Amino acid sequence: MVKKSKDGSLGMLVRGVCLLVLTGLVAVSARSAQFEDQQVLSLSIFVMIILATLFFWKFRLAIAFIGIAMLLGFKALTLQSFVESSELDIILFLVGMMVTVGVLKELGLFTWIIQMVLGMEHMTGQIFVTIIVFLSALMACAVDEVTSIVFVGALIFQVCDTLKLKPVPFLMIAVMATNIGSSGTMLGNPVGILIGHKAGFGFEDFVVWAFPVMLISLVICLLILLVWYKKEIALLTEKLNERRAERLGLGPLVRVPYKRGLFILVAMLTLIASHRRLENLLGVEDNTVLIVAPLLIAGILMIWRHERARHYIETEVEWWTLLFFMMLFVVAGTLEHTGVTDRVASDFTAFFGTNPVVLTPVVIFVSALGSAFVDNVVFVAAFIPVVRELNSNPLWWALLLGACFGGNITMIGSTANIVALGMLEKKYRTSIKFGEWLKLGAVIGLITCLVAWGALFILSPYMPERAAMSVQAEILEEALH
Amino acid sequence: MASGLNGTNFASLFTSKDTLCQTSISDRDELIQKMLEVLALNHGIGNVEHAFQQVIEREEKISTVIAPGIAVPHARLDAIDGIVVGVATSRAGIKFNGDANSKAHLVIMILAPKDQPGVYLQALSSFAKILNETGVAKRIAEMDNAEDVWRFFDRGGLVLPDYVCAGDIMTRDIAVVLENDTLEHAIDMLVDQHDIDVPVVDKAGVLVGVVTAYELLKVCLPDYILWMDDLSPIINFEPFAQVLRNEGKAWLTEIMATDYAAVQVDAPAIQVAKEITKRGSRQVYVLDDEKLVGEIRLQDFIDKVLRQ
Repeated sequence: MVKKSKDGSLGMLVRGVCLLVLTGLVAVSARSAQFEDQQVLSLSIFVMIILATLFFWKFRLAIAFIGIAMLLGFKALTLQSFVESSELDIILFLVGMMVTVGVLKELGLFTWIIQMVLGMEHMTGQIFVTIIVFLSALMACAVDEVTSIVFVGALIFQVCDTLKLKPVPFLMIAVMATNIGSSGTMLGNPVGILIGHKAGFGFEDFVVWAFPVMLISLVICLLILLVWYKKEIALLTEKLNERRAERLGLGPLVRVPYKRGLFILVAMLTLIASHRRLENLLGVEDNTVLIVAPLLIAGILMIWRHERARHYIETEVEWWTLLFFMMLFVVAGTLEHTGVTDRVASDFTAFFGTNPVVLTPVVIFVSALGSAFVDNVVFVAAFIPVVRELNSNPLWWALLLGACFGGNITMIGSTANIVALGMLEKKYRTSIKFGEWLKLGAVIGLITCLVAWGALFILSPYMPERAAMSVQAEILEEALH
Repeated sequence: MASGLNGTNFASLFTSKDTLCQTSISDRDELIQKMLEVLALNHGIGNVEHAFQQVIEREEKISTVIAPGIAVPHARLDAIDGIVVGVATSRAGIKFNGDANSKAHLVIMILAPKDQPGVYLQALSSFAKILNETGVAKRIAEMDNAEDVWRFFDRGGLVLPDYVCAGDIMTRDIAVVLENDTLEHAIDMLVDQHDIDVPVVDKAGVLVGVVTAYELLKVCLPDYILWMDDLSPIINFEPFAQVLRNEGKAWLTEIMATDYAAVQVDAPAIQVAKEITKRGSRQVYVLDDEKLVGEIRLQDFIDKVLRQ
């Protein structure tokens, strides 16, 4: 025990030294590349937070707090720019979504969905895998990737526990589908709402430009997974047949009053889907209704279920994650304010040129690789100013698709992966090896990124120009005033 | 739980003067009073009346007859700072609590300091090997003088162990189910044993899991049902219906948990405390390699270590 504790302390020390040395190296390199003092500081602190997510996952928020304090202390950040950069609107959007999902869970909506799958007749391994692939992806689109993996994970554990099968292959299938599905709408992933907000995209833009690409990638991913896990799927079919022969089900089924939950979900999705029209009608800023919709729904639900309101806010909202996002947005904002991102963007275009046909695959693969090893929100927050400088529509979608699809490459590539691994460890005291994940993740990641590249190549001529979008917005604004 | 008596010969803890050989006393309380008076005279054990109350109190709580014909009355006293042992033998036997038909022919009284919880168990452990010999109590009771009795223990080479181990405090006879039993049998066992955990073993006696009432409830009420805040739509235990319908066909492995607290039989007793505390478990299974040999319940552990 003592030895283990000593090993743990030594490991922490080594990782701590690595973090400081790498951060120092970045600072020295930036200084030698003639960055200014404040640029060096903001870049070093950003790198320190990225490394903290890799080396000290549990301490990432603490390190982000310290980083912010240093930026404020060394005048690279002011309190005013801190508030401006913290993207409170996105944070509030996520709070509203989390509260609503908490209420939907208690109302039995997810129980009803799971029971529908458990109660299906003529289920086979292939059908089950197809269901979990589409269910994971569509739930990620409708609510978010973490909620999706938690509920689909519970379904997988129930089936695998009943049939005495190892859940790892099926959980990996669900995670891969969740990450791909999370790119389909701006609700699927914090990356989606961040990109939508910064690029000025609405829900409908996602449905038109991202959802079809997601759907094609999902079908191709499903075909790969059916071949990859052929043996496990055959075994599942065999066990299902045995169980059916005994007239045994896959779990207890109860009557669930799901209609209220379904109504709330449909109402929220309808409100979000029509946000652009409502914004035009009300004459409010772009994405105002989008941000307000989950808050409005959450507020109404909290009045309706007022005895549980405190529980929803205190337990259902992932404050730890949201605070980390806030700190991250601030540090990324500091990179922008101090001119680091301008410099990176100009270096980027100097190297790759400004032709979107060339830049699109570069952005897809750079963001996929970046997101494979760093939280995709971290990567996207840093990369957004660079894409904004390039001012090209396909590049925003390339960033979105690359960041979401790249999350499949490694086991630390997205929040959904980490949540799934946590569930596995908690329930079965087992984990997936890095190499085991990488083998499948790299194949799925590469192929889906190629699909995204191909799709964006075909779709980009039809996408509205950024300049035209700005003119349209100006005309609309003038008309409203 | 080491007491400083590690490696001590059990016979060195008493002399022939502390032995009542072939006593004519037939009443338990009278014998205990007499043995305490002898020990008070030879060693000084403080107030005899107080010591008597302590010993009797323990006797009333639980029988100290630990093997056929052998009783080990004991107490922990403030007045002594080292272990004190007295022995009595009786041909006719003395009635102690427990089996109405058996009488104690060999009585070993152990008095230990109040602040040394493991001493009594160490002493008990030292002569554990003679407990399994058939008729040993009667054989000792036949000995004519106290010297012979003392010599019997001396020759036996009974040594106090370095520490109290799991094997010293475990319960050996425990109910188990076999891994190929049905769910129906497991549920019956949970009900019959008035217990919430039943260990599952394979044909070789290897512990493979534990059937728990908690797991049984979880099968009936899995996570996806528990997500709902309001279970009022379920008014008639519908989730239990499927389990009841299929309990004769389903294997108990469906509700078997493989995560349980276990220690090796020779592990120090403190390891038992650690397992119970760390896992929040109510019992620890004792293994000889992988084979299940006993069980230590939290309540028994507290009683044996803190009170006996």
